Amino acid sequence: MDLFVRLVQGLSRLTGVLAALLLAAACIIVCQMVVMRYILNASTIWQTEFVTYAVVAATLIGSPYVLLTRGHVNVDLLPHYLGPRGRFLLAFLAALLGLTFCAALGWAGWNYFIEAWRENWTTDTVWAIPLWIPLLPLPLGIGLLTLQYLVEILCLLSGREPPFGIAPEEQAPEKQTPEKQI
Amino acid sequence: MSPLEIGALLGIVTVLLLATGIPIAFGLGLVAIGFLVAFEGFDSLSILGETFFSGLAEFSLVSIPMFIVMGAAVAASPAGRDLYEALDRWLNRVPGGLIMSNLGACSIFAALSGSSPATCAAIGKMGIPEMRKRGVPDQLATGAIAAGGTLGILIPPSVTMIVYGIATETSIGRLFIAGILPGLMLTGLFMAWSIFYAWRSGHGLENAKRRYSLREKLELAPKVVPFLLIIVGILYVLYGGVATPSEAAGVGAMFCLLLVIVIYRMWRPRQIWAVFSTSTRESVMIMMIIAASELLSYTLSSLFVTQSIAEWIAALGLNPWALMGVINLFLLVAGFFLPPVAVILMTAPIILPIITQAGFDPYWFAVVLTINMEIGLITPPVGLNLYVINSIVPDVKLPTVLLGALPFMLLMVLGIVILCIFPGIATWLPELLMGPAL
Repeated sequence: MDLFVRLVQGLSRLTGVLAALLLAAACIIVCQMVVMRYILNASTIWQTEFVTYAVVAATLIGSPYVLLTRGHVNVDLLPHYLGPRGRFLLAFLAALLGLTFCAALGWAGWNYFIEAWRENWTTDTVWAIPLWIPLLPLPLGIGLLTLQYLVEILCLLSGREPPFGIAPEEQAPEKQTPEKQI
Repeated sequence: MSPLEIGALLGIVTVLLLATGIPIAFGLGLVAIGFLVAFEGFDSLSILGETFFSGLAEFSLVSIPMFIVMGAAVAASPAGRDLYEALDRWLNRVPGGLIMSNLGACSIFAALSGSSPATCAAIGKMGIPEMRKRGVPDQLATGAIAAGGTLGILIPPSVTMIVYGIATETSIGRLFIAGILPGLMLTGLFMAWSIFYAWRSGHGLENAKRRYSLREKLELAPKVVPFLLIIVGILYVLYGGVATPSEAAGVGAMFCLLLVIVIYRMWRPRQIWAVFSTSTRESVMIMMIIAASELLSYTLSSLFVTQSIAEWIAALGLNPWALMGVINLFLLVAGFFLPPVAVILMTAPIILPIITQAGFDPYWFAVVLTINMEIGLITPPVGLNLYVINSIVPDVKLPTVLLGALPFMLLMVLGIVILCIFPGIATWLPELLMGPAL
């Protein structure tokens, strides 16, 4: 089981690197597009779509990494007022509910992807690439997200991680990270 | 069940579900799926993948990660320190100048970074110890920085405003322009109160002994001015309609990255990676909430909840201002518990039709809504700014910070009241620069 946990966590970290690279690529291509369009007065064909899909891909592929690092913001008011046992049960319930959503979305995403693949759909723009390419991150990212959620539950049940990442003796919510509120 | 009853049930379920501590994005998504399945059967799930994907695949959304990268680059650099230093050198001989340079640095840094905890951390680390050293009461020093940090979501460019623009299909450039004067007004109110408080308590208004030469006053300018030019450039491009917000944000992000690399020598891969990994976490978090609320608003409108609530409110024939009061109270409470982005995405599709029907301007409302969200950032239980301040100066107890922030909350409420009496503060500049709203 240790191997499984470490494998999935490793994969989730990898998704973070991939997502960051996609964001960096989007940033560079936006600038390239601006130079082409406003300075060279050339027309741009693929950039708008590339950038849009790069950001979508970064979001979907990066989501397991963000789950691993507890970056998906939640309302952690109740957990802070509960005793250790209540906190554990609540964390378990929340994780099961989260897993349900991710699994359903992953399944639906897979069906959508397969449909696009079979029917040879293309994007409805000048670039008109096969739709399955930008869709691939949906089953892939959400699939990995579901796996990472399973690992979260395993870690919770086996005591590898305290519920909600709150150490038992800790009172102040120091685990909140600055990016929680924009 | 009537659509209204479904709506009420959905509201209750959402609150209960989010209270378990499930990530907001997954909670909203689960509510959306659950209600769709319960009322329309399993077949309705076939659109799930498509709705979620198309909720994300919008070019205008690209501006969000780009502005986040821009803010992360600035926040990771010592730019906040230099900004504060530069203002302090100019203002330290003026009575109350110390407080003005702190709040001024907050509002400028907040605009650049777009993140209110990051602003508190960056300016507070320098400003709070300095203010305390010069005799400003702890309460005021910490409260002012906590409140000053919240300006980031109002003063453009602001991710919160972009999210509002996307959720309500309003012009992002226009929203940005609408935020300028109210942002300056709040900064002014904060400054006036701080100086009054310091004067009344008899501390913190003394001029510093140190006199800076003109040379010293100017030497930080090359480090500070380029960042200011980026903000002005972005606003100019957006109000002129020269480029889209996503393009402006992408170029702004690139410029800010290059600036911190050149000025602060942040060229090491480790430092660049730090900027991008923070941005990734933040933008994935926001984008997932956006996609999930796309599912939720699909569910709401296919069960006719959105339309029914709007009709029901209209049929009540409430006084528009009573209505506005109730909505404000609701937003304020929601803001106590949820981050601004989540509140806007969850409520905008329902509230906006009601607001416009009652004759309010959507851009003016965006400003009022954002100030409500600012208040939530400095109130418990999740007022993150309070905790950031607490970690900078651990010897000042949390209740002191909270007490210090309290007058600033009231000032923001006052700001909302002023905006209700003089809506022109929010609508005049956009009309002047961009013509009347359509």
